Amino acid sequence: MSMYVLMRILESAPGRYDKGLRVLTFGRLESAYDRLVSHVEQGQRVLDLGCGTGALALRSAARGARVKGIDVNSQMLEIARQKAEDAGLVDTVDFCEMGVAELDNEEADFYDVVMSGLCFSELTADELTYALEQAMRIVKPGGLLLLADEVVPGSFGKRLLKGLIRLPLAIVAYVWTQTTTHAVSDLPQKVEGVGFVLKSIRLTNLGSFMELVARKPVEDGE
Amino acid sequence: MSFLGYALVSIVGTLLRLVPWSSQTGLLEIGRPDRDSPVLLTCNFRLTVERVRRALRGVDAYLLVANSRGINVWCAATGGLLTNHDVLSVLKTSGIEDRVDHRQVILPQLAATGVEGRVLERKSGWKVVWGPVYADDIPLFLDTQLKKGAGMRQVRFPWTERLEMAASWAFPISVVLALITAVFWRHALVSAICVVWVLALVLYMSFPLYGRWLGSGFRGGAVLLAVFAVLWVAAMLVLASYAFALGYAPWGEIGRWGVLTFAVLGVMLIDLMGSTPLYKSGLHEDRILKVVLDEGKCRGVGYCEDVCPRDCYEVNRAQHSAAMPRAHQCVQCGACIVQCPFDALQFQSPRGETITPETIRKFKLNLMGKRVER
Repeated sequence: MSMYVLMRILESAPGRYDKGLRVLTFGRLESAYDRLVSHVEQGQRVLDLGCGTGALALRSAARGARVKGIDVNSQMLEIARQKAEDAGLVDTVDFCEMGVAELDNEEADFYDVVMSGLCFSELTADELTYALEQAMRIVKPGGLLLLADEVVPGSFGKRLLKGLIRLPLAIVAYVWTQTTTHAVSDLPQKVEGVGFVLKSIRLTNLGSFMELVARKPVEDGE
Repeated sequence: MSFLGYALVSIVGTLLRLVPWSSQTGLLEIGRPDRDSPVLLTCNFRLTVERVRRALRGVDAYLLVANSRGINVWCAATGGLLTNHDVLSVLKTSGIEDRVDHRQVILPQLAATGVEGRVLERKSGWKVVWGPVYADDIPLFLDTQLKKGAGMRQVRFPWTERLEMAASWAFPISVVLALITAVFWRHALVSAICVVWVLALVLYMSFPLYGRWLGSGFRGGAVLLAVFAVLWVAAMLVLASYAFALGYAPWGEIGRWGVLTFAVLGVMLIDLMGSTPLYKSGLHEDRILKVVLDEGKCRGVGYCEDVCPRDCYEVNRAQHSAAMPRAHQCVQCGACIVQCPFDALQFQSPRGETITPETIRKFKLNLMGKRVER
């Protein structure tokens, strides 16, 4: 799934983002999000980092969770709000224009689930560390961290193959939007580094897209 | 960075100026800063970062590099790629809050089109100061207790910058042309590239001759068309006389050169205005907008004057009022509208429609100069 670099083009036209991403990923992103959200239960408090047009946030709300979705792109949020209204979920989902740097305003041990889809690959190195540390702080003991993102494959052969597939796509996206994405390297290690315990990791065949589930230990040494 | 390294970054950065080039974001130490040293911020366009560092030699300060996706400050801020979120993020995640005792950050003035100073102050607790447009003015700005004269607020287009713009257009056009001629017209490859560079240099170096007549309306377009015609005819005359001097005039060859110079000039002229800091891009819809001031709302606090890169404003601090005596110089960057704390400014189209400050803050311009609203 090297296609994610093309989402940059879609982001420049938020109205086409959802449809475009679905076409680009042949629906695989949809099923990845469905699997991730299956960990969310009714009545839980959920935070979606970099919610974009609300793919993960709205799925969680549909499962009966109380959701807060944050993103820095006001145009994407407008679409997310419209979708919430259309789905009759305005009472349980709240979209805020806010970046991960503002997570220090959130209460400690507050959320049952902190999730993020295709957001970490857009953060700077400092932001990524900060976001993970804050996620660890604001999620309840025993709560979950759910991530789905573009990652750097582990083996050299796969990195090379992915690079070759990605290059022409990256050039198109770059020419169009002058931006690109940065696949995350060592995501599991980084997640463990801030204190989460890994529960499961699912990788695509090429090893370039990761679904990760981790838990915050109830007490030290779990 | 050594002089050689700096020269290399400058050359590559200039030739590829139209393409983004990211550098590492985060905190940089300049000299030997302490807990009271000034905190400056810039974008993460590599060329800019190196130039700011060079301009700050001899100063002790912290330099924050915000994530502008490898794009220069003005374009990134206007296009929504350098926002209050990116600035807030680097303030919070770079560790600067543990390094200094004060909370004052100096932002590049041209970031005012996209970074809402008041939102940033409210969210971060940092006081925002709009610094000079050019990094070279920063040491003087710091020495004079952050006083910024009109000279430090205005964009300029001196010959050095015109030379850079000529190179940054000539290089990518040469590359494309080299690829095309290598296949279809091999013996003309070197000459074609020379023609591109000469045309680019003539176009930008002669800018003072025609630059002042450019503008937003019909006249600007007519002037560009005239420049185009003059340069193209001149190029054709040179070619024809060269052929005549050789005593040999293959019409097919001259025709091909005609098409080539026509295309090259067309590409370079189509957005000439957007390649200068003195005009809005001729391709952007915003170029026809006018900034209007609601005197009832204005309290003369002077943010507009502080952030205007074209020195359009005159603020009367005794009477608490602002005026736009030099409105004709406006480049429709929108910085004044974004920063005005009383929403006293807005854009107005020739047909009288208004674009409110809220819209301008929320919906940034995309590459084609459109404000995407769903």
